[in-house]
Amino acid sequence: MAQFDLTRINCQYLDRHLTFPLLEFLCGKEIYNQQDLLEYILDTVNKTNMIDYTMDTRKRLNLSQDMPDELVQRKSDVLATLKQLQNEVAPIMKATDILKNGESMKDSKTFVNALQKDYNFKVEHLESAYKLAKYLYECGNYQESTSYLYFCLIVMSPNDKNYLNVLWGKLAAEILTLNWNTALEDLTRLRDYIDSANFSTIQALQQRTWLIHWSVLVFFNHPKGRDLIIEMFLYKPLYLNAIQTMCPHIMRYLATAVVINRTRRNALKDLIKVIQQESYTYRDPITEFLECLYVNFDFEGARLKLHECQTVILNDFFIVACLNEFVEDARLMIFETFCRIHQCITISMLADKLNMKPNEAECWIVNLIRNARLNAKIDSKLGHVVMGTQPLSPYQQLVEKIDSLSMRSEHLAGLIERKSKQKNQESADSWKYY
Amino acid sequence: MSRFFANGSDSESESSEEEVPTQFNNKAQNFQFSDDEEEVKRVVRSTKEKRYENLTSIIKTIRNHKKIKDIPNTLSSFEDLTRAYTKALPVISKEENGITPRFYIRCLAELEDFINEVWEDREGRKNLSKNNSKSLGTLRQKVRKYIKDFEDDLARFREAPDQESDVDEGEGDVHDSDADRAGDDSDTGFGVGAKMAELPKAAKSSVQPTKIIADDDDSEDSIDWDPDTESETESSEDENMYQNMRERFLKRTTEKEDKDDDKRKDKRKEQKHKVRKRADDDEDGEGWETVVKGNVVEKPKMFEKDAEIDVPLVLAKLIEIMSARGKKRTDRRLQIDLLFELRDISEQHSLGTAVAIKIHFSIISAIFDYNLKISEPMKLEHWALLLEVMQSMMKLLLANPDINMNESIAEEHEEYATAPFYVRGCPLAAVERLDDEFTKLLKECDPHSNDYVSRLKDEVNVVKTIELVVQYFELSGSNNERCRIYLRKIEHLYYKFDPEVLKRKRGEQQPATGAAGATPAAPVQSSVEVMDKLCKFIYAKDDTDRIRTRAILAHIYHHAMHDNWFQARDLVLMSHLQDNIDAADPSTRILYNRMMANLGLCAFRQENIKDAHHCLVDLMVTGKPKELLAQGLLPQRQHERSAEQEKIEKQRQMPFHMHINLELLECVYLVSAMLLEIPYIAAHEFDARRRMISKTFYQQLRSSERQSLVGPPESMREHVVAAAKAMRCGNWQACANFIVNKKMNTKVWDLFYESERVREMLVKFIKEESLRTYLFTYSNVYTSISIPSLSQMYELPLPKVHSIISKMIINEELMASLDDPSETVVMHRSEPSRLQALAMQFVDKVTNLVDVNEKVFDMKQGNFFQRGNMGNRDRGYNRNQNNQGGNWGGQRRDNRSQRNRNQRGHHKQNQQQNQQQQQQQVHTIDEE
Repeated sequence: MAQFDLTRINCQYLDRHLTFPLLEFLCGKEIYNQQDLLEYILDTVNKTNMIDYTMDTRKRLNLSQDMPDELVQRKSDVLATLKQLQNEVAPIMKATDILKNGESMKDSKTFVNALQKDYNFKVEHLESAYKLAKYLYECGNYQESTSYLYFCLIVMSPNDKNYLNVLWGKLAAEILTLNWNTALEDLTRLRDYIDSANFSTIQALQQRTWLIHWSVLVFFNHPKGRDLIIEMFLYKPLYLNAIQTMCPHIMRYLATAVVINRTRRNALKDLIKVIQQESYTYRDPITEFLECLYVNFDFEGARLKLHECQTVILNDFFIVACLNEFVEDARLMIFETFCRIHQCITISMLADKLNMKPNEAECWIVNLIRNARLNAKIDSKLGHVVMGTQPLSPYQQLVEKIDSLSMRSEHLAGLIERKSKQKNQESADSWKYY
Repeated sequence: MSRFFANGSDSESESSEEEVPTQFNNKAQNFQFSDDEEEVKRVVRSTKEKRYENLTSIIKTIRNHKKIKDIPNTLSSFEDLTRAYTKALPVISKEENGITPRFYIRCLAELEDFINEVWEDREGRKNLSKNNSKSLGTLRQKVRKYIKDFEDDLARFREAPDQESDVDEGEGDVHDSDADRAGDDSDTGFGVGAKMAELPKAAKSSVQPTKIIADDDDSEDSIDWDPDTESETESSEDENMYQNMRERFLKRTTEKEDKDDDKRKDKRKEQKHKVRKRADDDEDGEGWETVVKGNVVEKPKMFEKDAEIDVPLVLAKLIEIMSARGKKRTDRRLQIDLLFELRDISEQHSLGTAVAIKIHFSIISAIFDYNLKISEPMKLEHWALLLEVMQSMMKLLLANPDINMNESIAEEHEEYATAPFYVRGCPLAAVERLDDEFTKLLKECDPHSNDYVSRLKDEVNVVKTIELVVQYFELSGSNNERCRIYLRKIEHLYYKFDPEVLKRKRGEQQPATGAAGATPAAPVQSSVEVMDKLCKFIYAKDDTDRIRTRAILAHIYHHAMHDNWFQARDLVLMSHLQDNIDAADPSTRILYNRMMANLGLCAFRQENIKDAHHCLVDLMVTGKPKELLAQGLLPQRQHERSAEQEKIEKQRQMPFHMHINLELLECVYLVSAMLLEIPYIAAHEFDARRRMISKTFYQQLRSSERQSLVGPPESMREHVVAAAKAMRCGNWQACANFIVNKKMNTKVWDLFYESERVREMLVKFIKEESLRTYLFTYSNVYTSISIPSLSQMYELPLPKVHSIISKMIINEELMASLDDPSETVVMHRSEPSRLQALAMQFVDKVTNLVDVNEKVFDMKQGNFFQRGNMGNRDRGYNRNQNNQGGNWGGQRRDNRSQRNRNQRGHHKQNQQQNQQQQQQQVHTIDEE
């Protein structure tokens, strides 16, 4: 199973703190050696200031029950630094209170002015607030970190050298506190910033790659995320480009998102084009499933792939929640494609293709027919499903063809009229002076 | 005649390095002086005088005509000759026992050679006047026919053209003396060599003056000889045969001197001294020396006899010599000689490598200077010399890292005496020039001759030299310089196929195990990896756009050559080359065209028929891929090229070994066009607005349809056309037979590296596309078709047939659906009534009208509003509809979505569209 595991690659593009959930998730999956994983976690945690978590991991590794001196020392150091930083920021701490009550203070300029007037606010304060927020984040105190970062965001001008860092920090903190709504907001803000800032091409590509990875976390947890992920990954050329050049493995999440999104069926065709283009750099059961189904029309292959998909999804932290939806929708996709091609299908064959028992399959089809998603009848004597064919009349075709014509002509006529009016007016205007 | 002639002189120049094969010389003389020889014959065999005189005089006229390439007259003379010969036949049979006289055979041989040469020289042939070329044809035929009777004699003659014993006396004498001399040379050489070996070791102070004297003497001596050879080249038209001959030999000796190793040089000078004395003794009587002496220019003395030779002195001399450079009266050849001498002197006195390098560099530039015209290649002898000097200079440079050679060092800051040496000069420019000269030399040769092959052997040396320079610049060199030299290396690398790459691709472990067993330490870098390394450096470091563009193009070419289709494609797409290639210089555009051609071939091999077609279409649609790829000039119909223009165009041509096979290219293009076009035609048979996918392919089809009688296919094109016709009725077997057969294999397919795989792929595609064509064409006849029988008919596996049909149904190309229990395809095709059909056509026309209206409006408005966008999108939409609307059952549920999609389209797609648009603009090489 390890061959389809992307954690290793994904972690390269995630913040150290963001990798912990992934790694912890893996611990429960028994894909890798438990011991190795824990050691890896310990290694990573050591680079942060989360002493308690380090301790916890050590215990799990059965290293020792007691805290080593070095760690004790570090803990006190960390606390001391924290204290010091908090002291530095104290003067403006009260300001955050106004921020909370003062709805009228939304405008950052007036807010800064008020701060300067009432609290003797200086730029150094901002710097230390940023430092504190960073430090809190390092310590794993994400909640508090967000509030400081929020403060920074409002006061800082977008030209500040730390502005980008603040944005990233805010997003990470929001993700880690599972605050998906604000995370989504921050994500959009960060994206706008990256798109508008003057990075060199390489830098921009790098920033986008990171953003793509972080956003996967948000998108699969936010209710609106499923539409947004398609919007951003598939239809924003810059991001699609970044995926294609830097991280084709993101295709898995994009593909999953498209499959489970019934309302965006038309994105499928575009997705498949991209999958085919990138098939030489990246393929996994999910992309292969789509390829089998929509490129080769190989239903048997699709069935097998669907089976593999289930294990893949089960072991992927990002999309594990969508497993059931995915299977259901994938089945439906197979079935829909089947129906479009066939006019008569035996139920047993269908059941076979859908990984279902014949009875279940019949029941499933009945439900589909009843919900009017399908124009078909079941012939239970022969065990067939007969599709209702709609013979296409030339008239309908004709109507379809000329459908847009009148609209277009009208539009054109309108344009011409406007144009000529404008011209008349101009000429009239020019006459005025004589 | 000229071939032997050329050979003769060639061998002479080469022979200077070895002992002279006297045979060669003999031969050359035989031809050159056969006029005298006839006279001799006439004197000896006076009985048949009359007939023979007649023959010889005709032969003479033929020879004259040949000289000025007057072919019609040659023809008539040839006819005379044959007549005269038949007349002479009785005499010959009586006198010579029926053996054909040699001079006659020789004449025939020469004539044949002459004709072959003129015939081979295609370019030249095209330029012949109509009259000339017509008579050339007749002459060739007649001679061929006539020669058949003399085949044996000719063969014997060609084996030993110089076996003639009755060469004239004088010549023989000269030969003997020459041979003697050569013998003497070697004799004395040994003797002196022994003596001289001690000399350099002896105490310098005491020996130096005497040696210098020797040198001085020498240089004075050689003066007499050098200008001789000069004058010889100029006065080659001279009728004074004797002198001419002499000079030939003399030239040989002097050249020998030029080229020999420096250590042995002084020895030889001694020898020569002696030899010359002897020669003087021998030949004084003939009085040639007095004739020539008038031309002799006094060669400047190298150094004063007793001068102390040190660095400044040598440098001063060097500057003195170099200052004559470029002046009108300067004898360029003399300069080279002087420089060589200076090099020897400086080496004798061990003046340090810096000086040596400086002198080397001066020699190189002197050799470059020798040739005044840029468009003409340098002489072969100089070329060999140049390569050698260049390599030795680079080796010196590499061996002495404390020498800085740079063109930015000013003359006054040069430092020769102490450790960090500074020398002004640019090995990069020199090697670039060297490379250019090499290309020129290659272009000069007839690509089908052995000359070309032997020239091509020098490529190894050129590459080696470049490699040395690369090493040098990798040690010390700015990024810019490294980029330039890398590009040179790339340009020698990119068109070469490395089978190792494909082998590795197929089995990754194979080289690993092999390497582990045989050479564990050094895994050989495949050329693709080398290429990658070089190109990546250039991408990162280059700041001139041109080098990067060329590197990218070469990189893509190389990838495409090794079947790395995806890498090649992505590089093309990411580099955005299509957008601005029109602004590039012609040679880059040629490279672009070459790259596109190769990319197309690669796509074809990798089963991407559509892409192959896209890549090749703009090369082929113009009908002059030959010109676009710079593989030859096409005759222009409308206006003649001026000589100037022709020269420029000739300079751009690719050397023959880099050519892409045009027939292969065309065949690949036509076959991919066939695979795309035939099913499309079948699907849209009655569509009023059917577009052509490939114009060239249509032309081929039409031209075959125009013929009243179509015979069995002969040429490659006819094969493809016949295959296309077979495919139109779904007959895959016939189609495959036309495309893949013995004739086509030898003509086309065997040119691919993995030809077997390509053929299999082709047959597979032919089956699939024939099946599609069959379904399109005959679907209105059937209500249902059984899938197993289809799979049997087309010898395709059942799932494959199923998949093909499913795809057609989903894409709404085929109005049908599958019936699973009975495994049949059920057709839903409904034929429209006459009225309906007309109505549909009418709608099409109205749509056209609206389209045109919008277009007109757009054009008038320019970019008013975002109207332009809208119009484009709508047009795209209509085109889409048109693709499928032709089918009557066609139903478009997803118009809306289609439209949406057209609005967006993601990046790569856009790029591809761009590419397609770009491809419509053909990148022609401007005719300046």
